[in-house]
Amino acid sequence: MLQGNDGPVPASWMASDFDAYPQQGRSYVVDIPHRHKYRMGSCGIAGCINTDGSMISGSKIEKMITTMGERENGLGAGFVCYGLFPDYADEYCLQVLYESDQSRAGLEEYLSDRAYIIKDEKVKTVAVPTMKPPFPLVWRYFIRPKTNTESFWRKGLDEEDYMVHMVMQINQADNGAFCVSSGKNMAVFKGSGYAKEIAQFYDIGRYKGNMWLSHSRFPTNSPGWWAGSHPISILDWSICHNGEITSYGVNKKLVEMAGYKCSLLTDSEVITYLWDLLVRRHGLPIPAASFAMAPWYYKDIDRLDEQLRQLALQLRITYKEAFLNGPFSILVGRSEPNVTMIALADRKKLRPLVMGVSEDGNSVFAASEECAIKAVQKDAETWAPKAGNPVIVRLGEGIVRRGTEAPFQGVRL
Amino acid sequence: MSVQTVVRLPEKYRPVVDHELCLRCKKCVRACSYEVLEFKDDRIRPKPGCVACLRCVYECPAQCITVKEMEPQFAHHAVFDPVLRRSIIAQSNSGGVLLSSCGANVEYMDIFSHLLLDAAQVTNPSIDPLREPVETRTYLGRRPGKVTVTDDGRIDLQSSSTPLVVMDMPIMIGHISLGSISYNAQAALFQAASELNIVAGTGEGGLHADFYKHSKNLCAEVASGRFGVTSHYLKEVSSVEIKIGQGAKPGHGGHLPGEKVQELVSQTRMIPLGTDALSPYPHHDIYSIEDLQQLISVLKESTEYQVPVGVKIAAVHNVGAIASGIVRAGADFITVDGLRGGTGSAPRVIRDHAGMPIEIAISAVDQRLQEEGLRDKVTLCASGSIRSAADMIKCIALGADVVGVCTAAMIAMGCTVCQQCHRGMCTWGIATQRQDLVDRLQTPVAAQRVVNLFRAWNEELKEMLGAMGIDSVESLVGNRDRLRYIGPNPRIAEILGVKHSGEGWG
Repeated sequence: MLQGNDGPVPASWMASDFDAYPQQGRSYVVDIPHRHKYRMGSCGIAGCINTDGSMISGSKIEKMITTMGERENGLGAGFVCYGLFPDYADEYCLQVLYESDQSRAGLEEYLSDRAYIIKDEKVKTVAVPTMKPPFPLVWRYFIRPKTNTESFWRKGLDEEDYMVHMVMQINQADNGAFCVSSGKNMAVFKGSGYAKEIAQFYDIGRYKGNMWLSHSRFPTNSPGWWAGSHPISILDWSICHNGEITSYGVNKKLVEMAGYKCSLLTDSEVITYLWDLLVRRHGLPIPAASFAMAPWYYKDIDRLDEQLRQLALQLRITYKEAFLNGPFSILVGRSEPNVTMIALADRKKLRPLVMGVSEDGNSVFAASEECAIKAVQKDAETWAPKAGNPVIVRLGEGIVRRGTEAPFQGVRL
Repeated sequence: MSVQTVVRLPEKYRPVVDHELCLRCKKCVRACSYEVLEFKDDRIRPKPGCVACLRCVYECPAQCITVKEMEPQFAHHAVFDPVLRRSIIAQSNSGGVLLSSCGANVEYMDIFSHLLLDAAQVTNPSIDPLREPVETRTYLGRRPGKVTVTDDGRIDLQSSSTPLVVMDMPIMIGHISLGSISYNAQAALFQAASELNIVAGTGEGGLHADFYKHSKNLCAEVASGRFGVTSHYLKEVSSVEIKIGQGAKPGHGGHLPGEKVQELVSQTRMIPLGTDALSPYPHHDIYSIEDLQQLISVLKESTEYQVPVGVKIAAVHNVGAIASGIVRAGADFITVDGLRGGTGSAPRVIRDHAGMPIEIAISAVDQRLQEEGLRDKVTLCASGSIRSAADMIKCIALGADVVGVCTAAMIAMGCTVCQQCHRGMCTWGIATQRQDLVDRLQTPVAAQRVVNLFRAWNEELKEMLGAMGIDSVESLVGNRDRLRYIGPNPRIAEILGVKHSGEGWG
């Protein structure tokens, strides 16, 4: 839910001024840093959800993520808010980072060919003196794809896949525009800077939603790059990832075969596409998809009852390219069909992941460190989900899985 | 009137006996099936024809024999090197095609040596396989691409189930037929495969009655000669492979010289004693990809869809497109055999000059299948000079699910790569059917040595995976990010899809 109106575009954001930012060395905002394929990092993650649907202010998540200041080095942070646009809940919300007004004009032409733009507005941003310019122009569009056009049916895609295709096309092109979120009733706010700075830049406290996820990064080997920050999002999926995927080359093969284009230069990108592929497109229940990404060891699979053993083997063998090897803990958000938070750590649990729930059971938290939870909910009861065992929390349903259950609890055969 | 054309070639090797130490026990004379050594005037004396098989060295109780490589006798010439001149003289002698064995004996670029592996430092933890599990279990067969979920959200296990063979390590002992090798040698390989729980190829010679006990670890070869192929045989084994070609001799069929077709081989292959078993070059029922599709279907029907059916091809220039056609024709796994792959007998011209190295071939197939969205449907097996765990690991990172190994297993059993397999006089009892020679190979010892070798390789694989921060081998398959090129020709790196050493992640 938006608080207040963004109002007219302030003069300081007009094209001429915007383009006048001095280029200080190689500082990448929207264009893909040249020669870089992807980067890796280790980071802090935090999330919170109110399962009764009541609203959470952005200040709360800001407090959570900034409590873990040790885990970031100022090279990227971001937030994603779900349940943000109840008035436009049926429209896809595109948030786009622009290099210039010129690139905005270009993309808007592209968009209006393919979608009805129900509403568009500038996303309010505030100059933060400590941040390194240039800053992108951030724009928001509520769109509905034109499904009655020739170019739509020629693609042979359904509406959601068409959206994925559009986002891939936008982000592949060298057009000074990057689409950072594209789901319904949600939006991503991210950039290059400390979590505190990004929160200030977007004035994150002015937004309220049912669920927030956030990320602060400590990448290695990487340029500062706005679009490459987390959360990484496609459709209503968003991922905050702490870790490094040692199987990246393998995972990339699978998502590329399925038509996704890896353009964000981060290993975390494949995780986002894997969730979309396995859950939305292949229809796997969340525990089954989690098992494919963080499977049990064969020696443990062999001890399962025959039917579950068959299920485990089939998931592991069929989706061996979806197996995320190496250390990770991730927070996954989704708004369809209901706002859902998934928390998952790798099968060795080489990255931290702590969950917490308020005394009344309504507010559920996830974080890299317990301090982030205690900072906003002193009375929270905390627990550690097991390695490779997903936590699922859903609006209206509460805690569906605590991450300590048997692997396929809730999966029907 | 016939003309005497044969000119004697200069010797390449000569056994040298230290007569001071020699016990005159004559073991070496009996050891040499090539009859190079004789006992004369109270001394062991060499005759021409030494192949450096080293059996005499091994047998000599006084350790007084060394085999000396002779200096080339030819006048130096930069273009007509001694090897070429020897070939020309040999062909002028016989007027025939020169035969040889083992893999290509020319220094075609060994790309494995130009590839470096990655390891984890700081940003991800390396894993110690002695303390934490690192998995090497591998499945061979077709994969459905997705697990079927019904409209009401149930997972349907039946409809996405395919026949798979489980192996404890991503190593397959390649197809070496009974005939090209001895009964004892094949028994040892099969026994080792059973003990390691991996798969061994039967070769195209059918399966001897005694070996059915290993059938769950065997892959039956259906080659153009169809020797010994019966429906009973196909139903017993764990997988079936149609052999279209082999890396050592792409475009050729199997060559088994009549000297090797003794009673045992004749019965297993169902061919007359002493006849050359020369398999047709193509399968005469496969002149096109549609025909291959039919044979795949026939084999699947005859095995009642219980075992995976694969196709083996030699690495040729268009291997990527061919492999994609094979997947579409229904193959559950594909074996690609590289230029340097071994053979029991092949014309030297084709062995040394046709095909492409396995590093490039497997990479091309992996990339092509990925481009066509087929890579998650099949198992890829790469063979052709996988000489060490390092080669195996690099080959997996270039796209192989499984590697096929033959020559290294032969060496474990005693082979010294003297390249005389086609003559059938192997002093080590491996590539021969002469009973007195076969008896030299003790099956249990040979089997144990093969077991030891592959266990060691598998441990090395785990060590390297752990160092890379990977705890299961499937996460290395085609993971080119973990490889870097350091050789002389960056164009190769480009074709392999591997970055140059010094280029980081981003």
